[in-house]
Amino acid sequence: MLVRIVMELEDVPGQLLKALEPISHLGGNIQSIMHQRERKTPLGRVPVMLVFEVSERARLNRILAALQARGVRVTQLGEHEGAVRATALLVGHIIHTDIRDTIDRLNALKGVRVFDLSLAMGEPGQESAARMTITADDERRVNLALSNLQRIADRKKLLMITSLEAG
Amino acid sequence: MRAVLIGFGNLGRGLSRVLIQKASFLRKSYGLIPRVVAIVDEFGAAVDEKGLNLTRLLKVAGKAGTVAAYKGGKRGKLAHRVIEGVEADVVYELTPTNIKTGEPGLTHIKRAMRAGKHVITSNKGPLVVAFKELDSLARRCGVEFRYSASVGGAVPVVGLARELLAGNEIREIRGVLNGTTNYILTRMSTEGAPFEVVLREAQELGVAEKDPTLDIEGIDTACKITILANSLLGMNARLKDVKIAGITRVRPEAIRLAREAGHTIKLIGVAKHGSLEVGPKLVPLGHPLAVGGTLNAVTLELDLAREISITGFGAGPRETSSSLLGDLIDIHRTLGG
Repeated sequence: MLVRIVMELEDVPGQLLKALEPISHLGGNIQSIMHQRERKTPLGRVPVMLVFEVSERARLNRILAALQARGVRVTQLGEHEGAVRATALLVGHIIHTDIRDTIDRLNALKGVRVFDLSLAMGEPGQESAARMTITADDERRVNLALSNLQRIADRKKLLMITSLEAG
Repeated sequence: MRAVLIGFGNLGRGLSRVLIQKASFLRKSYGLIPRVVAIVDEFGAAVDEKGLNLTRLLKVAGKAGTVAAYKGGKRGKLAHRVIEGVEADVVYELTPTNIKTGEPGLTHIKRAMRAGKHVITSNKGPLVVAFKELDSLARRCGVEFRYSASVGGAVPVVGLARELLAGNEIREIRGVLNGTTNYILTRMSTEGAPFEVVLREAQELGVAEKDPTLDIEGIDTACKITILANSLLGMNARLKDVKIAGITRVRPEAIRLAREAGHTIKLIGVAKHGSLEVGPKLVPLGHPLAVGGTLNAVTLELDLAREISITGFGAGPRETSSSLLGDLIDIHRTLGG
């Protein structure tokens, strides 16, 4: 399968190599690399679009995990290859309501994985915010994950903000 | 065409100014000569069946605080008497919105229709409380009923959907329908400032009201979504049918996290068959609904045209008079004038 991902790299030497190494090492056949310097993020990271071929789903998951382990943030994952992504924000007492439990409940769903989590702590006593990226094998599973997350959020009194296009 | 104005606040005055300014344009372009024969405010009324001098009336009412100060004007609660007693073709219902009872607008509109007068309104209250009732009453009485200004201010979403996209089936309506909350979210995004600070700034600028509850709790947006669902999707919805979340819990950190993933946060109203919802949503940067400041925007999802989006100013007396005047011209044309 052909996979297209966009990842955000810090604008310092050696970053691209750090990201490419696990891809080829784990059997991904890189076909094109495009820096998107004009779309630099507010934090100064440069989005890089990458197209590579990989033989199976499991291999892709290993590559994505390896990238994550190296601190490479993948912001987009080609959807037509079967990997569907959804992003949701949570606002509330995220740590105190056991974020780990929230993640475990989602990961327990078949074909669903919490792929990325970014947390912004509020001032002491104030609410925090988190951005969660969920990947799933297909549209139906990703919607199931989102409705589960909504139920969890309601129970933990978290405000959940989903994408305009979701559901 | 003889018109009566019930309510003479910002919108009534703004409309009067535009009628003065556009008099010769309306005559030349449409053969339309609007004559305002009566204006009612909460303290009294000014009536002249030959047509009020709007320039003089604006001056007099501005000084005295009521239209009753105009030559021959009367003091007292006169709306009902004017609606029923003064010969006119169309009644503009422009009184303040009450979303619980719809009054006093609801009674004004019913009386006007029963008296055989066409009705144009900006008032959300009657539309939220009794849309179906008013819609069928207008039909029974054989009068026209227009409410473009009640949703989106100057943004002609009702006319766009009903007239220009008439061959389409509307599957979903999504919109940024409240300028106050959009201003607050935009400022939180650009300044990274907390909600309370930006709300105070908006109140100082007059963008938010002293009591901002209806805006920030999402209720105003819910009213507009209810009106759109009823008028464009043929639903029979009430405000209580809308699942509502406001923006008071949205934090600047949340907006930052959204931006890092290429999104922004907007208060979005969504209407589709079987579900009405208002709440903060992630909107991709560059999406037609990712509009800044006090702008409003609506996206219609359609079976033929797929998606059509429209953006513009959702408030302001001059901007809203675009819709109020458009409705008058539309009625004039419908009647073959």
